[in-house]
Amino acid sequence: MTEVAVQQAGASRMGFFTDTTTCIGCKACEVACKQWNDLPADGGELRKGGSYDHTGSLGASTWRHVRFVEVEAAPVPHDPEEVDLLAVASGGATLERWVFMSDVCKHCTNAGCLDACPTGALVRTEFETIIVQPDVCNGCGYCIPACPFGVIDRAPDDGRAAKCTLCYDRLEDGLEPACAKACPTDSIQFGEHEELLDRAHRRVATLHERGVPNAYLYGASEDMAGGLGAFFLLTEPPERFGLPARADSPIQQNVVPATLAAVGAGLAAAVGVAASFRVRGENTPAPLAAVAVAAVATDWAARARRRRRR
Amino acid sequence: MKPALGTPGGPARWRRAREGARVALHGDNFADGAWSFLFKEGDTNYATAEAAGAGAPGGLDVVQGPMMKAAVWTWEVPLYFWFGGMAAGSSFVALACDVAGDRRAARLSRAVALGAVLPCPVLLIMDLGRPLRFLNMLRIFKPRSPMSMGAWCLVAFSAAGTAAVGADLLGRDRAARRLGAANAVLGSYLGSYAGVLLAVTAVPVWARSHLLLGPIFVATGVVTGAAACRLALVATGREPADPARRALGRVETAAIAAELILSQVNEARLGPLASALETGPAGRWMSAARWFARGGLALRLGRGTAGSRAHNLASSAFMAAALCFRYGWVRAGRASAADDEAVAQTARASAH
Repeated sequence: MTEVAVQQAGASRMGFFTDTTTCIGCKACEVACKQWNDLPADGGELRKGGSYDHTGSLGASTWRHVRFVEVEAAPVPHDPEEVDLLAVASGGATLERWVFMSDVCKHCTNAGCLDACPTGALVRTEFETIIVQPDVCNGCGYCIPACPFGVIDRAPDDGRAAKCTLCYDRLEDGLEPACAKACPTDSIQFGEHEELLDRAHRRVATLHERGVPNAYLYGASEDMAGGLGAFFLLTEPPERFGLPARADSPIQQNVVPATLAAVGAGLAAAVGVAASFRVRGENTPAPLAAVAVAAVATDWAARARRRRRR
Repeated sequence: MKPALGTPGGPARWRRAREGARVALHGDNFADGAWSFLFKEGDTNYATAEAAGAGAPGGLDVVQGPMMKAAVWTWEVPLYFWFGGMAAGSSFVALACDVAGDRRAARLSRAVALGAVLPCPVLLIMDLGRPLRFLNMLRIFKPRSPMSMGAWCLVAFSAAGTAAVGADLLGRDRAARRLGAANAVLGSYLGSYAGVLLAVTAVPVWARSHLLLGPIFVATGVVTGAAACRLALVATGREPADPARRALGRVETAAIAAELILSQVNEARLGPLASALETGPAGRWMSAARWFARGGLALRLGRGTAGSRAHNLASSAFMAAALCFRYGWVRAGRASAADDEAVAQTARASAH
C-alpha cells in the first residue's frame, strides 16, 4: 500500500519532545505559532478552558495550545464547631500542583487524518510529518472525527481543515519550528526523532533519580499510533491533559472487518430481496409477522429496561 | 543548530515522490493494526481503572477534556445517507424484479434508483467546506478511505444507473438488465459504506458499533428502497394483488424487523455507550424512528390483505423511520465525541 508522500533522500524524521516538567505556561509557543503561520486570534474570552487558559483546545487556528492542569488537594473536613472562614471563603480546596502542557499535533506514524483524507490533501512530508495542502483540501471534514487526539479541525470561515505543519516551510530552510524557537525553558525541544527519543529517555531517568517517580513518556513507543512524531513527558495520567491512554488510526484498526461485514450484508440483502419475490401468496406470511412483532416487543422491553436503569 | 536538510540559511531541495514510492514506517505497519482494538469479544463494559494502565501511572480519576472533536457535518449528510440507501435498495429491487421476470417493475425500479441517487452529489457538495473543489474527491483513488471509495462508488452507480435507464428508454432490454445487475453489486457498497464511514472514526459510539453499523445501514436502505419502489408501483396503477407489490411489502416488513433486531444486538454490545443513542437530540430522533416503525408495522400487520391505503401509509411510515434512524446515528456521534469520559474510557478499555 502506497500513500501520498513527499520524499527526499537524506531527510530524517523530525519531531517535538515536549517536557511538561519544565513548562511554565507562558504561551510564547502559542503566540510564536500564530505569528509565523499567520493564524487568526481565538477571540477575547477569558478562562475559556478553565484556569488562565483562554484558548480552550487545539483547532483550525490554534496549532499549539497550552493546557493548564490544576491538581487540587482534597479539602480537609473541618470541625463544625470551629469553622475556618478563610478556607470556606476560598472554596475549601487548595491548589497542590499546577501543571502546564503545550499540546500540538502528534504527527502520528499511523495517522488517522491521513488515512481518512479522500482528496490526498493530507500528505506525509519527507520529515515524516503530516501536513494539509491548503490548495487541495475541499473541506469534507472526514479527518476531524478520524483523529483520536482531536487535533485537526475545519475553520468555519475558511472551510478547509488545518493543523500544525511542524513548520514545514521553516524545516525546508533549515530552521527550527517557531514554537520550539520561542520556548524560553526548552520545554519544547525539536530535533531528529531518534535523537529526541534518546534525550527523552535520559530525562525520565534523571527525573526518577531526583524523586519524580511518576514521570513517564507519552507516545514514545510504537503502541501509540505506531509512535508519535511529537511525544510528551508527563507526570499525570494522560486523561488530565485530554489525551487518550491508547490511540491508533481508527481506519487501520477497523476498516477491513467493518467493510467486510457491510458489503457482506449488502450482498445478502440483494439475494434476500430476490428470494422474497419467489414467495407467492398473501401479503405477510405468519412467520414473518411473528418475527416482526417479536422484534418490536424485545426492542421496546430492552429500551424500557435501560431507561429505568438510567 | 544542525538543519534537517541542506545548509543553514540555504533552501533545501525536495521533489514529489515517484508513483508507487513507499514511505518508511507506514506501509509495513498497515497490516499490523490490532484489529480488535476497539472491541474485544465479550468486552462490552469499560475496563476498570485498576485493569487499565497503558504505560501511564494511576487510574482514570479525572478527565480534563476536550478529548476529541466531533464531526462538523450538518443536515445534508444524514439526508444523503437516506437517499443513498434508497438508491441502493431500489437497485436490489430492480435485480429481483428482473430475476422474477417482471420487466415493467424492473424498469420502474431502475428509474427510482436513478431518481434517488440524483440528489446525492448535490447534498454531498453542499456539505463541503469548499464546495467548488468537489472534483478533488476524484483526484485520487484511496481504497483505505471509505470517503474516497464512497465518492467513487457514487460516481459509478450514477453512471451505470443513468445508462440503465437510458437503455430502458431505447428499448435495449438486455443491456438494461446487465447494467441493473451491475448496479445491484455497486449498491451493496453504496448502501452500506455510510456505516463503514462512521464506524472507522475515533467516535466511541460509532467505532464500537463497527461490525453492525454497516448491516444496520443496509437494512435501513432496503426499507427505503422497497418502500419507494412499492409506492411507485402503486402510483403507476398496480393492483393490490400484484405479486411484485406484495413481495415489496414483505421486503419492507422483513427489513424493518432486521433493522430493529440488529439495533438491539448492537445496543446490548455497546453497554453504557448506548446512552449516546438514547438521550438528547439523537435519542429523540431514535424514538421517532421507533414510533414510525411500530406504527408502520401495526398498519401492515393489522390490515392483512385488505386496505390498500393503510399499506401505502405503512410504506411512508417506514421511509420516515429510516430518515429518523439516519439523523439519529449522525447526531449520536456528536454527543458521543463530546462525552470526554466515554472517549477516555474507550481508549483505556482498548489497552490490553
